[in-house]
Amino acid sequence: MTLMLPAVAVLGALGLAMAAMLVWASKVFYVPTDPIVDALIELMPGANCGACGYPGCADAAEHIVAGDVTPDVCTSCDAETFELIGELLGMEISAAEPTYPITLCQGGTNCKDRYDYIGADTCRAAILLAGTKKACSYGCIGLGDCVRACMFDAIEIADNGLPKIKKYNCKGCGACVRECPQQVLTIAKEHGPVYVVCSSHDKGKYVKEICEFGCIGCGICKKNCPEGAIKLVKAVAVIDQEKCTQCGTCIGVCPRNAIVKL
Amino acid sequence: MTDALIPALMPTENIFPIFVEAMFTKNFLLVMFLGLCSYVGLTTNSDTSKGMSMAVTFVMTMSAILTWPIYYYLLSDASFLGNDLTFLKTICFILVIAAFVQLVEFIIRKFSPPLYRSLGIYLPLISTNCAVLGVVLLNIQEGYTYGASILYAFGAGLGYSWVMLATAAVREKLIMRDVQLFSGFIGAFFAAMMAALIVASYFAVVKL
Amino acid sequence: MANKSFVGEIIRGIIKDNPVFVLVLGLCPTLAVSTSFANALGMALAFTFVMLGSNIFVSLLRKQIPADVRIPIFILIICTFVTMIDMMLEAFLPPMYDALGIFVPLIVVNCIVIGRAEAYANRNPVLPSIADGIGISIGFAAALMLIGSIREILGTGGLKLVMLNVVDGVPGFYPLSAIPGLSFIPEVIKFPIEPAVVMITPPGAFLTIATLMLLFKIMGDRKRVKQLIKEGYEL
Repeated sequence: MTLMLPAVAVLGALGLAMAAMLVWASKVFYVPTDPIVDALIELMPGANCGACGYPGCADAAEHIVAGDVTPDVCTSCDAETFELIGELLGMEISAAEPTYPITLCQGGTNCKDRYDYIGADTCRAAILLAGTKKACSYGCIGLGDCVRACMFDAIEIADNGLPKIKKYNCKGCGACVRECPQQVLTIAKEHGPVYVVCSSHDKGKYVKEICEFGCIGCGICKKNCPEGAIKLVKAVAVIDQEKCTQCGTCIGVCPRNAIVKL
Repeated sequence: MTDALIPALMPTENIFPIFVEAMFTKNFLLVMFLGLCSYVGLTTNSDTSKGMSMAVTFVMTMSAILTWPIYYYLLSDASFLGNDLTFLKTICFILVIAAFVQLVEFIIRKFSPPLYRSLGIYLPLISTNCAVLGVVLLNIQEGYTYGASILYAFGAGLGYSWVMLATAAVREKLIMRDVQLFSGFIGAFFAAMMAALIVASYFAVVKL
Repeated sequence: MANKSFVGEIIRGIIKDNPVFVLVLGLCPTLAVSTSFANALGMALAFTFVMLGSNIFVSLLRKQIPADVRIPIFILIICTFVTMIDMMLEAFLPPMYDALGIFVPLIVVNCIVIGRAEAYANRNPVLPSIADGIGISIGFAAALMLIGSIREILGTGGLKLVMLNVVDGVPGFYPLSAIPGLSFIPEVIKFPIEPAVVMITPPGAFLTIATLMLLFKIMGDRKRVKQLIKEGYEL
């Protein structure tokens, strides 16, 4: 029992000294922050995935509170989180429609290789020599830079050499889209839109030789589109999603099966 | 223990072996198994490893500077209170370390927001890092003088740093080449096996 | 929270939230003290004491603890129990105290204890917190004893199964044969293999835990894939 008093005294004194020092420090080194922003940061997933277009959840929270964007810019939040955010900010929010990346290429194993490639296992390296390792200079290389960019383990290279999205993990953040050196990935709504799944600007004759499904720029889709939503850009057809009514006429007339409805 | 109470900044014993021991033969990560959670978690990225190593070395050295006098002048039976309160060492040390880390966080947040953004989240992590508390406790256990404990802590920090940076350098490259055997976890397994082989070959060189 | 059963919470701590293999926390003591079954058991018991004490007290005080200083307060509470078990070990079980070394005071910064205090005990009433504490402790003990047994068997060729016991008034970790009724169990179970001393050393620890983590991950992955197929996702 004789030790209790000194023990309590020492520990108490040390604790008080530390606490006093920290209180002093918190006043001297005070950095003003908005409590609403802090509360919002607490609610957000904190993955810093960049889907909203801001470098981190903290930055996005600041912009949301400032009113620059609405909270549904965060694709990683689920319905429950949106409810809580709505309560905090005093507004009604509903989750935006889920979007997933799609590959505008049907090459992969359907497209011939230009040469036997032995080198670093990344797409960025394989596009450096002689116009990419695949015979088509614009298509998917299939070495998986997009897979490595994904922080949710939502994308993998399938057996056909093209990226495959695991929808149950995908948050639609777009990291893979930004990472792809060939820029063949794009974000689209899960169901409905019609896309030409080819990015090749090579002449039609060449595309026929090297790829089973590539767009040859024949223009049949353009002639048959009732809305005039398709145009030919350097030997590849592109659908204007604003004008497209998703009627699907072009899908039927394409001789190469290069158009797909999601 | 009387001469240990003289806070000699130049320690009386030969300190070079202590420093080398802390860095190599008694390396905190590979031999003493302290600080492993941060090792396994952060070495996939060399930038975070760099930040964490600097922060850990700094906190370790400062903790040694702060805790040695507290133990010998406040808690041991040669203190001015005359009671043996050494059983309070764990709680006092952790109090001092946590308070110091919080202070450092305030200072960094005020004076260097970019530094805070890049390594600010690791500072609270360091206050619960076994390596920091481990250094401080080992200083007491081995009975080092003041100067020797500071050097030991600094050596431990450097030892932690070189292992973190070396592992980060290898693991960053490993991520580029996925070994396509099982469902992709094999990469992490090989990282762990690699750590095991590093330690094994380490022992062959160091000859414990 | 009200629908979860006491036993259910315990089982969750052992399998679904196993601290070593699933949460990958608390690696330092796991690798360092699992050189034998006896050391693993000693560490597991010390950990259980601290875990239960901390969960109970944090849960009792959860309404009073202010949010911004909660981590230092958790550490203070945990430190009390760690100092208690440290002194108890030094007094009653000196050989185990020497074997565990500085890893007993280091339980205070064990990520598992602080993590559960923050994630569970701070938000739940006392009874579920006790269940969680028991579950996590059993999970940790199981992981530790598994690794310890493997390292001891492969490293020395024999397994010494011990239990906390009081023999002739002296408490300690005695072989199971000291327990009345279990005297048929040999003191050291010999295995007919050539011992590989590397398993007792630090590299052996990394090897063992890497292999076990891989096995558990594969089993977990298979289960998760089956679950997803059941839910109708195409893979």
